[in-house]
Amino acid sequence: MKTGNALRSLLPVLVILALIAAVPLFSPSNRFLSLAISAGTNVIALYGLSVLFGQTGILSMGHAALVGVGAYAAAILARDFGVGFWTALPVAALASAVFAMIVGIPSLRVGGHHFVIMTFAFGQLLAIVLTNGGDYTGAATGLDIAGPVTLFGADMSDLTRYYLMVVAFVTAAAVASWAIIHSSYGRTLRAIRENEKLAASLGINVGRHKIGAFVVSGVFAGISGVLLAYFLGHISPSQFSSFPSIYLALMVMIGGARLIEGPLAGGILVAFLPEVLNLDPVQSRIVYGVCLIAVIMLLPDGLIGGIVRALRVAFSGKPKQEAERDAAPSEARQ
Amino acid sequence: MSPILAISGLGKQFGGVTALAGVDLAVEEGEILGVVGPNGSGKTTLFNVVTGVHKPSGGTVLFRGRDITGLAPHAISRAGIGYTFQQAMAFAGLGVLENVQIAGEHRRAGGAANPWPTPQALLDFVGLSALGGEKAGVLPFGSLRLLGLALALATRPSLLLLDEPAAGLNDRETSALVGLVRQLPGHGITVCVIDHDMKLMQMLCRRLAVLDFGSKIADGPTEKVLADPKVLDVYLGGDL
Amino acid sequence: MDIFIQQILNGLSIASVITLIAIGVTLIFGLTGIINFAHGEFLMIGGIVTWLAVSAGLGFPIAVVLAILAVGLMGYILERGLFRFTLERPTNGFIVSLGLIVVLQHVVVLFWNPNQKSIPRPLTTVWEVGGVRIASVRVMVILITIAVVALSFRMITASRYGRALRASVEDRDTAALMGIPVRRYITGVFVLGSALAGLGGALLIALFPITPFTGGTMVMKGFAVALIGGLGNIYGAVAAGLILGIVEGFSAGYGFSQWTDAYSFVLMILVLIVRPHGLFGGTSGPRMAS
Repeated sequence: MKTGNALRSLLPVLVILALIAAVPLFSPSNRFLSLAISAGTNVIALYGLSVLFGQTGILSMGHAALVGVGAYAAAILARDFGVGFWTALPVAALASAVFAMIVGIPSLRVGGHHFVIMTFAFGQLLAIVLTNGGDYTGAATGLDIAGPVTLFGADMSDLTRYYLMVVAFVTAAAVASWAIIHSSYGRTLRAIRENEKLAASLGINVGRHKIGAFVVSGVFAGISGVLLAYFLGHISPSQFSSFPSIYLALMVMIGGARLIEGPLAGGILVAFLPEVLNLDPVQSRIVYGVCLIAVIMLLPDGLIGGIVRALRVAFSGKPKQEAERDAAPSEARQ
Repeated sequence: MSPILAISGLGKQFGGVTALAGVDLAVEEGEILGVVGPNGSGKTTLFNVVTGVHKPSGGTVLFRGRDITGLAPHAISRAGIGYTFQQAMAFAGLGVLENVQIAGEHRRAGGAANPWPTPQALLDFVGLSALGGEKAGVLPFGSLRLLGLALALATRPSLLLLDEPAAGLNDRETSALVGLVRQLPGHGITVCVIDHDMKLMQMLCRRLAVLDFGSKIADGPTEKVLADPKVLDVYLGGDL
Repeated sequence: MDIFIQQILNGLSIASVITLIAIGVTLIFGLTGIINFAHGEFLMIGGIVTWLAVSAGLGFPIAVVLAILAVGLMGYILERGLFRFTLERPTNGFIVSLGLIVVLQHVVVLFWNPNQKSIPRPLTTVWEVGGVRIASVRVMVILITIAVVALSFRMITASRYGRALRASVEDRDTAALMGIPVRRYITGVFVLGSALAGLGGALLIALFPITPFTGGTMVMKGFAVALIGGLGNIYGAVAAGLILGIVEGFSAGYGFSQWTDAYSFVLMILVLIVRPHGLFGGTSGPRMAS
């Protein structure tokens, strides 16, 4: 009965992803596919961020740096060791996870309000190191990554095929994130989000689990970085500094960090809103900023949480106490 | 038989202020011990040092012969000491059942037969089974206290430390709580209650230890301790 | 040695601007627990206002006053319109400030394009003292900052309002119980902090060209200084600003200028690892109801 409930919460995401996977049947434009691929790589990173922020209550302003570690790992592996996409994937995920641990241990030790500033500083530092890294990191120009992505002998570099592959990765990320939310591990993280002192009194090693959540978010970010690097064919430090991290945080919060649909909705919305409303990049950024402020002030569960609640009100006539078991509206308090 | 918890020479200083001045205290297996004392007597500091919130400045804490002095709060819990807080009682944003589930997932392996094998059984025991689907944050205060007790019990402690468990409860709720706590030794759980409420202590404890200015000034059967002139002096015009 | 003194002077002039931001963020955090990352954009807008005023033919002193007033007003509007609703949940205040960063940057880009903006140096004299070339504009920036910081100190230490403010930073709830109108002080601190950022922006554009994205690095340095000094501790912020200015001056003087931006972050990370409450001790923000 409980597993049934849990499965039902995954279903909407799977249906939406199945529909998204069917889009190539309608021969979409290359522009659409490109946008969708970059949205998809973001969504994978956002699922990691949702474990960290949505479940554990830790806000990181260095998530783009973790994506960057994955991307640079893939590019350097390809250049210096001739390592291809599929081998780079686990190695880059590991690299990002290790970097997350290196950043996480001192940052979480400092803790509390300072954590977010520490992650921001580490993000900026990484960009500075990459810029000053000379030929090894390609300095401010960055690195090229050539080399085809093949799967069972088929060349996946074709836009439609790459699109389908990214959709598959997004699906894997969503399922992984769902599995975390509904596991005892997810409950542990939520306990830490709700009350660290009480969590510790129940035998939870708060510090270790917080670093663990940060490392998990790093794995998602690393995989996202590899997909991004192979898609773009070129990466540079400015893509992974603190401003991209702000945009990642913005996407996950607009979508709703605690719901399984949140990262997907946030990533897609931010990528396609300018297209739909026909905005130039500057206007669209203003719209994102205003959206973020509006969502935080008016819809604490994010856009999807707000919609779910509105539907509940519309159908049952009264607001239910909990919009969704995992989407607690109350925030982590100290 | 050696005591389940043996505190000896436990001291704690905050800057130049001595909060605990070398306290000796033994909690015997199967009893309900009360630790009383006026505000500022060092009760809460004692609780915080034993549960690992503060590191002691001196002295040792032995739990079943094992030195647990200065362990981290989660390690204390895993060693088999459950404890409840005055304020942080439950995870407000999570469901009542989920609260108890979480509490049961990090205990040490092994141990004696569990009187409450499922979270539901534990909710039945504290009388909250009807509220399992609610979010903890919406519970009335009295129920929240009971949930806090259930969370501590879910860690399957052999020793339970309660810090002012009845604070903010009305008489009916207090007697319900007393009824529950009295059953615990029967389930193999030793209890140590820290409070200044003498009425509660008289209901719960056969033995009392009294703290004043960070030192133990009395320790013995409840009636004897309450008749002790030193104790009367400390509590003169107080709760007695 | 000459280069050394010159670089220290350069470092101190930038550190002055950073200290002006740091005082604002440290006061706002101390009183509200809100980490206002958009404070760097406040500074940037101060610079833009100065640029607009000077381009319109007004003198630099008038432009500075306009920048202070405009950004102070903006701080007032944002506090009344947004931040006061996030006082119970400072994390939300922080997230709102992220939204503001994006909005403010791009509104400026929308109206005045993303290119660099500069004004002619308000003071062009360069003194030569014993072989050391001292740009008077840098001295001006340092002196104005010293004056303003001293004035703020005086306000905070000597006046009745200052004592009430420090009491509120120490313990908001108790201060409120004592009859201090804490809410009004919060608005006041937002306005004061914003006005200082406006001044900082005006001084910054007197030294360097700025872009709509200048705020990001500057606010990070402001936070670094505030954290090194101890969040909520104004004295600490000023002392840490001095330290950073000297360190950055050193590094530029000895040929590591490409790493200049890294020093504040590395320094901050190291200090926080060793002393989580900063070198001079800070508050951990207002106590929240549990």
